[in-house]
Amino acid sequence: MTNVNATTLIVGSGIAGIHAAETLRAKGYGGRIVLADRDSSLPYDRPPLSKEFMLGEVSEDEIALKTEEYLQELGIELWLGEEVVSVDSKKQSAVLSNGKTLEWDKLLLATGSGLRKLPVKGSELNGIYYLKTLADANAIKEKLKNIEQVAVVGAGFIGAELASTFKKLGKEVTIIEWSPLPLAHILGDEMGEYFLKLHQSEGIRTIMGDSVTEFKGDGEVEEIVTGQGKSIPCQAVIIGVGVMPNTQILNEELDIERGYIVNEFGETSLPNIYAAGDCSMWPFLGKHISIEHWDHAMNHGQNVATNILEENSTPYEAVPYFWSDQYEKRLQYFGNSKNWNRTLIRGDKDEGEFSYFYLDENNVIEAALLVNQPRNAISVRRLIKQQKPVDLNLLSDSNVKLKKCVADA
Amino acid sequence: MNSKNIQSETEEYTFVAASASLEDEDMIEVLVGKETLLIARTNGNVHAVDGICSHAYAELVDGELEDHCLYCPLHFAAFDIRDGSVLEGPADTPLSVYEVFEQDGSIWVKV
Repeated sequence: MTNVNATTLIVGSGIAGIHAAETLRAKGYGGRIVLADRDSSLPYDRPPLSKEFMLGEVSEDEIALKTEEYLQELGIELWLGEEVVSVDSKKQSAVLSNGKTLEWDKLLLATGSGLRKLPVKGSELNGIYYLKTLADANAIKEKLKNIEQVAVVGAGFIGAELASTFKKLGKEVTIIEWSPLPLAHILGDEMGEYFLKLHQSEGIRTIMGDSVTEFKGDGEVEEIVTGQGKSIPCQAVIIGVGVMPNTQILNEELDIERGYIVNEFGETSLPNIYAAGDCSMWPFLGKHISIEHWDHAMNHGQNVATNILEENSTPYEAVPYFWSDQYEKRLQYFGNSKNWNRTLIRGDKDEGEFSYFYLDENNVIEAALLVNQPRNAISVRRLIKQQKPVDLNLLSDSNVKLKKCVADA
Repeated sequence: MNSKNIQSETEEYTFVAASASLEDEDMIEVLVGKETLLIARTNGNVHAVDGICSHAYAELVDGELEDHCLYCPLHFAAFDIRDGSVLEGPADTPLSVYEVFEQDGSIWVKV
């Protein structure tokens, strides 16, 4: 046991925070660990909220992350419903909403992200929801029991998953998306077309390149009016128009862009203050990026905890990854690519199973999207990690093993 | 792959594959009754474990086997194929392990 007289304060008991706390203990940290969260419910897993939980396939108990007893056994103090209202970076102390002051040696900000709001006329009507918490999911589930028509605003990953879920529940679903093609800003136009067609083939009404200007109704929402003058009848609206990192704490003092800027060890611009997960921006292959997804939050939380304990010993090098389940498709996305030089498909889109690669000017894979090809996941992740040029002819041939696609030096 | 019961040999074991169809480092998925199993050969030995990850729904046959270490293709949890134990998270529940034996060119499993 080390650091027995030290205190680490972790703000946020989501995926990053909880994995950081566990990792500190697993690696022999003997000091005090306080895990504070403004939410008063025990930590739970959020990905199922839009899918299995909404469908009624898994229960609240099954999405719980850790029990109170388990955390107690690890000597992790879970302070629920206690928001950190201010931090003094010089005195190394924090004031909580209950008036308590806690002195810390290390501070880990794992504050996650919050939902972007859509502030249009009629937003106060009943039947308009956002999905972030278990309470939100329960409210939507309850509402859906008695209605037929649901509108989803935003065709990103959450919007697409919800549309898929609502369809499975037998609802009449409309998706409204501001950009002309869903997900095109991340996956490109060709994949945007693919996912637009996927929605349409599942019987979803899609309204692309249009925006919501007003919700109409008498107490309850009854209709959406769009910028192009369309009217969409609906008895419930679920809005999924993106997230923003929560960076209220030390907002004036720390370097912040889209999230707290951290180095490869998770350190912010101030000593002894770290950040991990959704709320941070970290260096991946020389560029600072932010990833608001589960796998990154877990890996980053674990990694930064290691660096808190072992003095910046372990640079964070995980390949970013997220997955999404829509209709009967399992999507897996590895890496990060914004200005790819070219794309390449391996497999056949029409067969519904393929891998789609984003390459730079040297034919190094920056990112890849796998559609119903989990068997390629580990090999693709390895190829991205290697950062070596690939042979395009080999890569496009499904009969050639992925590990054989690295170009001869 | 479907299995067939050979009642006359033994009631308890189910034939799942021909030995020759499972080379070293190979994995196959089989359905025995309602159980989806993963049958794998590593270092010459055959092992049988749950075919579905204990963490979230993913078929382990799509993962990777390195020596005795089995990686899930969805969140990359790692299990020891020999005893089902968790080697790396996010899984925290071990995989069930099934008795398996190989005889006369056939692989049999007990569920």
